[in-house]
Amino acid sequence: MIAISDIVKSYGNAGNKNQVLKGISLQIMEGDFVVILGASGSGKSTFLNVISGLERPDSGSVVYGTNDITKLTDEKLTQFRKDNIGFIFQQYYLLPNMTVEKNVRMGADLAGNREYREMINAVGLEDKARKYPSELSGGEQQRASVARALAKKPKVLFLDEPTGALDEQTGRQVLDYICRLHKEYGFTIVMVTHNQNIAEMANTVVKMNSGKISEVSANEKQKTAYEIGW
Amino acid sequence: MVVGMKDTVKLIGISVIAGCAVFVCTLFLNYNIDLAAMKDKITTQAGMAMYQAQVSTGKVVAAVSGGCLAITSVIMLLFYVKNYIDTHSKELGILKAIGYPSLKIAKHFWVFGLSVFVGCVLGYVSAFFYLPSFYELQNAEHFFTEIRVRFYPLLAFLLIGVPAMSFAALAVIYACFRLKTPVLDLLKEKREHKTKVSKKETKDMPFLKELARSTVRGRKSLVFFIAFSAFCFSDMVQMSMSMKDLSSKTMAVMMITIGLILAFVTLFLSLSSVVKGNTKTIAMMRLFGYKHSDCSKAVLGGYRPFSYIGFAIGTIYQYALLKIMVTIVFADVGSVPEYNFDFKMCAVTFILFILAYEIVMYGYSQRIKRLSIKSVMLE
Repeated sequence: MIAISDIVKSYGNAGNKNQVLKGISLQIMEGDFVVILGASGSGKSTFLNVISGLERPDSGSVVYGTNDITKLTDEKLTQFRKDNIGFIFQQYYLLPNMTVEKNVRMGADLAGNREYREMINAVGLEDKARKYPSELSGGEQQRASVARALAKKPKVLFLDEPTGALDEQTGRQVLDYICRLHKEYGFTIVMVTHNQNIAEMANTVVKMNSGKISEVSANEKQKTAYEIGW
Repeated sequence: MVVGMKDTVKLIGISVIAGCAVFVCTLFLNYNIDLAAMKDKITTQAGMAMYQAQVSTGKVVAAVSGGCLAITSVIMLLFYVKNYIDTHSKELGILKAIGYPSLKIAKHFWVFGLSVFVGCVLGYVSAFFYLPSFYELQNAEHFFTEIRVRFYPLLAFLLIGVPAMSFAALAVIYACFRLKTPVLDLLKEKREHKTKVSKKETKDMPFLKELARSTVRGRKSLVFFIAFSAFCFSDMVQMSMSMKDLSSKTMAVMMITIGLILAFVTLFLSLSSVVKGNTKTIAMMRLFGYKHSDCSKAVLGGYRPFSYIGFAIGTIYQYALLKIMVTIVFADVGSVPEYNFDFKMCAVTFILFILAYEIVMYGYSQRIKRLSIKSVMLE
């Protein structure tokens, strides 16, 4: 379980301080599919960065089991990310000088996963394994980043607007891959999006507004990527 | 403005190199021109021998120093223009997409020539202030009693105006050539990948080793730049140190100072480019959970062998150049000592190089460590 308590995060200096997160608390259960919804500037990406250990909050705690990651040193936080966390971003962030296969190995080697090719096959990129990111379409690049993130067998997968740069068909395809792999491997998903339709795929929907959680709701009937609207 | 003044500040290294080149050339060429006016007034045989020796020295030093440094500046300028276009390809792609022709965008790159202009002006002015002392030094034995420092507008123009204009034009032409890239490739920041992946590599090699190799193969311009800076370091430091046996003490000190400044400037510039070019990769790896030391070793360590190759070539080059100078150019001048390869100097320079390389790399590596991953990814 991830227990998030009273997270406060501000940017800027004393004279011009902008409080982006205003005391957020939330609990995420193991294996959950959580979608964080909110308009631009609501603080959802900052929240994701804080709970994934990419940024430190000004105050509050983020406890994974019994491990408060806000108290970890940089080295220990790196080790924690290595053992537990996977990331997928809107901009893919694939290493441009490496093929798909090598990008996926980046994640796989960390977990000692020798079966990383299975993950490439699972996202339907077996034919493109030797292509460079610049030779792939946006959807293919995002699928490669999905394979890379999952090849390290994360316990929690964080996704920041994973379909933000994709068209509808490709977006649905990527989400479908993520959902199927979620069911197969059982990792926890925390996804940030502004697309309300995607929330129908999650079992927990967190709505954010002006740095606060305005609503947390459970979704009884989860839809597939091809059933939701766009 | 496509290229802001802020971007040109990064070209301070080119200013330093251009400044040093113009400094040396101004000293020797101004002296040679003034000396040439004295020729008819030299009556003694010893005076004529000294005249010929000094004219030859002036020509060779101006040609070698000026030529080497001009080539260094050209390479650095082209590298910076390429690097600028690579790192700003999205913005440049947008300009092209909305209809700006390549030439019109490229014209803005003239500001890169400003760095050369600033360096040349500083080099010329500082040399001109130093000229009286330089004349005294060169004429210590008072062979040329009437020699005086004179100002030559044409020389000033050739050493300031011509390089500045040439470099500005070169920057524009090269930028125009680079901007011929299709709009979509610029927008997608697409770079060509011609590397073939061998089966053996992919199957057997651990990711970190593969990364070290592919980082080097994918960034050939950085590899060249790092090897070139090592070449410059080796060449300039050893050559300037060797000069102490071939010229006066003051001249030797001047050459060693210039050599060391240039060596460190080129090394510092290339290492900063290498680190900047790989910061995002390191950030991405740290995000995934790779240790910082592993990231630095894999991404930055791949350049080290090339720096050693550059150093070795620089050593051979400086030896060959000085040998040619001493045996051919100064063949008729009796007072020039025999020149042999200085192994001790080479070893000292190599140790100095390794120290400088590792210290700068370590400094940058620590700086990357302190950067927040988010700030790097958002760049």
